[in-house]
Amino acid sequence: MILLVIQEYHGMNEKDYSVEMHNITKTFPGVRALDDVSFTLRPGEVMALLGENGAGKSTLMKILSGVYTRDRGDITIFGQAIEGDLTPRKAKALGVSMIHQELNMCNHLTVAQNIFLGSELIHGSLLNEREMNRLAKDVLDSLQIDIKPDVVVGSLAVSKQQMVEIAKALQAKSRILIMDEPTSALTSVEITQLFTLIRKLRDTGCSIVYISHRLEELQHIVDRVTIMRDGKFIAEQAFKDLTLNQIISCMVGREIKEKFPRIPVNKGKLALSIRNIQAGRMVKDVSLDLYQGEILGIAGLMGAGRTEMTRALFGVDKKDGGEVEVEGVPVKITCPEDAIASGLVLVPEDRKRDGLCVKLSVRENISLPNLDIICNKAGIIDRKREKTMVNKAVSDLQIKLPTSEVNASSLSGGNQQKVVVGKWLARNSKVVIFDEPTRGIDVAAKVEIYNLMNELKQNGIAVMFVSSEMPEILGVSDRILVMCDGKVTGELDRSDATQEKIMEYATRFEKKLDDQF
Amino acid sequence: MISFDGEGIMSREFENPFKRMMAIRGIGQVLTVTAGLIVLYVVFGIMNPVFFSSRNISNLLRQIAPILLIGIGQSYVLITGNIDLSIGSVVGMSCMISATMMTKGVNPWVAVVVTLIICLAFGLANGLLVSFAKLPPFIATLGTMTIARGIAQIANNNYNTDSIGEAAQGFRDFFYYGKSFGLYNTIWIAAVLWFIFNFILMRTRSGRHIYAIGSNVEAARLSGVNVISATNKAYMVSAFVSGVVGLITSATTGMGTMDAGNSYELYAVAASVIGGISTLGGQGLLFGTVIGASIWGVLQNGLQFAGAPVAIRNIVIGVIVVVSVLLDVIVRSGKGLRKKRVVSSL
Repeated sequence: MILLVIQEYHGMNEKDYSVEMHNITKTFPGVRALDDVSFTLRPGEVMALLGENGAGKSTLMKILSGVYTRDRGDITIFGQAIEGDLTPRKAKALGVSMIHQELNMCNHLTVAQNIFLGSELIHGSLLNEREMNRLAKDVLDSLQIDIKPDVVVGSLAVSKQQMVEIAKALQAKSRILIMDEPTSALTSVEITQLFTLIRKLRDTGCSIVYISHRLEELQHIVDRVTIMRDGKFIAEQAFKDLTLNQIISCMVGREIKEKFPRIPVNKGKLALSIRNIQAGRMVKDVSLDLYQGEILGIAGLMGAGRTEMTRALFGVDKKDGGEVEVEGVPVKITCPEDAIASGLVLVPEDRKRDGLCVKLSVRENISLPNLDIICNKAGIIDRKREKTMVNKAVSDLQIKLPTSEVNASSLSGGNQQKVVVGKWLARNSKVVIFDEPTRGIDVAAKVEIYNLMNELKQNGIAVMFVSSEMPEILGVSDRILVMCDGKVTGELDRSDATQEKIMEYATRFEKKLDDQF
Repeated sequence: MISFDGEGIMSREFENPFKRMMAIRGIGQVLTVTAGLIVLYVVFGIMNPVFFSSRNISNLLRQIAPILLIGIGQSYVLITGNIDLSIGSVVGMSCMISATMMTKGVNPWVAVVVTLIICLAFGLANGLLVSFAKLPPFIATLGTMTIARGIAQIANNNYNTDSIGEAAQGFRDFFYYGKSFGLYNTIWIAAVLWFIFNFILMRTRSGRHIYAIGSNVEAARLSGVNVISATNKAYMVSAFVSGVVGLITSATTGMGTMDAGNSYELYAVAASVIGGISTLGGQGLLFGTVIGASIWGVLQNGLQFAGAPVAIRNIVIGVIVVVSVLLDVIVRSGKGLRKKRVVSSL
């Protein structure tokens, strides 16, 4: 049986495809998500599927993995034409697995139980847990992933969960593996591991579709590139025949002149001063100064305590010590209300969870933290004032909307981020903290976010910019602080900051590792 | 202790039996409420030694049995992340349909089978409304709750039935008055069904899928789990045990009463939640439901012995429900309530 498969594989010539999709069309209520798109995939290659957010990449792949059904078009998988709807079960049986951007795991179940979900091993009519644990361990070992099969998935870090998803796909004997933004939550070490894994899989004849916004990554693994824009197929080419700028211009339909626009502004007065902040296990000792009209980048590895620092600063988490001064005035921040009152606002990392009420309209989202301004003395909302405020925010930030009454959930990532910013700009904020503002949004929208930060600093606002992406930290910040293990380990001026220097500071752990364990 | 078994769930690496046990999801709360149950029991026993008499224990267990049964049903549905508000009305429907048939001269056992089939069909309808028609479970079962009560009322033209009579004596013995191996049959029925349903939940593929859809329905669907079928199964279990409780009720009273099982759905939620079943789905052990139902029974019985009026009993049970959920929330969020509240207001 195994021999047969190998023969079949060797019998294929270059032109044989593992997947052929022709003239795929998909309409959602009011939107044509895919318009006559074609896509091919060969065994043993890594195909990058690129495009801005909303270009239809995920939709196309969700059709291939059976999550969505197509309106029109032909799909052939390993030479077998698909009649009728493709269901997740059918796709899985044909060897297609998709690792979704928002990881889809049952947090309450164990690793092995997740790996075998939907294809549990049965002994008689009972679950054969022992065998499932054993096989799960084999798969994890073969990938050199150090996770025990019987731990509960919810207790694992996101990166480990991602590895479990890959193990699950392999366990299902998938020959076609679709990865949607697999690196967006990984550290650079983990990314290297993932790439090694991808190459290994490719060499065994797997086809891999790789969706990512981090174009710098592609050179390490990608063989071919398919580019989409606005639900249409734009180009398909070998990766080595393309330059990064060509790819970007295909994606956005125009040349982006400046990836990191910058506007020089003279540093103003001291806006925020923090001394020896401590909070929980993750924030050990952070002091920093932030001036008006400057963008202060906060770099560091995952787990360095950057997000935790912003949360403690904003009063979300309890501080165990330290002082905060805003414009020279000491302030006591024990909850977000205090922070907002003193002119300090946070654009959080996870905009859908912490930044927006996705089921409310854009108008309601923007006015939510500003109800004190737009309500009259009796606490009744002044519709007119609300409307003025919302319209101003929408036009200032150029948020693309049919009307401000649409649900925040219906917007693209970049526009959602602007709404989060918009709700803070309506009041006189002095310090704006951005935590990973460009995560999961496309190139053009990223540039708009950078422009936005620039505009803020031109208006004399102090901007704190936490990011894990080195190029943007280097490109946008005026000054960079590097954190490691809950402490500030280095400060670099824009003029002499390099990736290497940042990495050096970011890995400056104290040598007392033994004490921790 | 059967529910703690199953090497599969645990690692071979947990050699220490205590660690092994603590590794099971949700065991913490089960142990806590078990301790609470023992304390309650001892306190009531000291207040009134009759409480410890074997006669009372037997009665107490017979009181607990129906609550345990509907608790099993509600736990199944809660674990899928849904809720079943129709339980009490299905108890009434089962009671009225079976009793009406028996008074009309139908063989009692035929009546039992027909009643249970009707209940299963009702459970299937509940399941389809939630899983297939995608109605919010609260609304869907609120509707079917009213419908089931209506069926109970029209079963005998809006009257309670007459006595189900001599012909049904065997039926009444089987479900209520008879004893086997020294315990009332009602207790045996609950115990046997608990073992069966616990086994299904812990050791079969259907059980795993019920946990999976409660934990993350999208992940389950994308893994090829048939969400509609798993949801239907849970609602059918719920309606089936409710049907059995309806039969027990008609055997107990010897007639059909239209408002039988009134507000049982809430007792079922109470038994599940006290026993550590998460109302958010995906979490909980059916052993916890045993403890939850027992606490409910001991409180009812004990407060009755202590001479507390019904109103006081209701208040106490309400407080216990709220406190046990509160404890669960505090334990799960680790750092207590404050953090949780602040995050959600960000």
